[in-house]
Amino acid sequence: MSGPNLPSPLLSRPARRRPLISLTPLIDVVFILLIFFMLASSFLDWRAIDLDAPVQAAAAAAATEGALLLEITPNGLLLAAEPLPLDDLAIRLGERFAVESEQRVLIKPSAGVPLQRTVDVLDRLQAIGVTDLSLIRDGGG
Amino acid sequence: MRVQPPRPKNEDERILPLINVVFLLLIFFILTGKLTAIDPIEVTPPRSASEGVIDVQELVVVIGANGDLAFDGELISQASLPHAVAERLGGDRAAQVWLKADSGADSVQVIAVMEILHEAGVERLKLLTAPVMLNGTG
Repeated sequence: MSGPNLPSPLLSRPARRRPLISLTPLIDVVFILLIFFMLASSFLDWRAIDLDAPVQAAAAAAATEGALLLEITPNGLLLAAEPLPLDDLAIRLGERFAVESEQRVLIKPSAGVPLQRTVDVLDRLQAIGVTDLSLIRDGGG
Repeated sequence: MRVQPPRPKNEDERILPLINVVFLLLIFFILTGKLTAIDPIEVTPPRSASEGVIDVQELVVVIGANGDLAFDGELISQASLPHAVAERLGGDRAAQVWLKADSGADSVQVIAVMEILHEAGVERLKLLTAPVMLNGTG
């Protein structure tokens, strides 16, 4: 049925041409890229604590002379075998380290103490200004 | 007389705003995120007030919350760690080694690993942490 409806290239306005490249595949690719970058990238802002090599178990006896021993137990802190709340640490040690910052501090966590608590104590000590810190442990295997 | 909103000319133009937004999101993720290799053990780093921005992370020893160890992207046992580290270092004592330990890992084990690394010839060791969250455990 060829009537007047048939578009004629000469008479009627030219039909809108489809774009040469359709947008749909582009969107597909962009979406895939988006999902890839969302999943593969990490936003964690890493920091670092300098760790001195820990005092060797064998050398511990010599190195502990004159050092303060700070034990971290599941129940709390022990400074030279005396219980001490974490918040009092700065009060007890702050004045002392303002005078002599060379004082060596040994930190000995007990078994079962999560690393977060040890790092908290390290933070406190570094805030006071302790520079000579060592992490030690029982036994030494 | 009613003002008619401009009609999109075809299918493709109707989704142009969507594409704009998706492009913006894509660029945001490309610029702000950082592509890193995925560790074999999932680790929540301890929160700390320490400073120092880290960019390069090579020679990472990972300690999981349950005591699993990984070095150089592979799970490893504590017994074979010294050999692997010494081999990887190849006598380069100045190499920087990173310790990525879970915040719930046992401190004693972390110290044991530090001792192992020291015996294997590592002199520069750093513990990776994350900054304290605003409402976090200060």
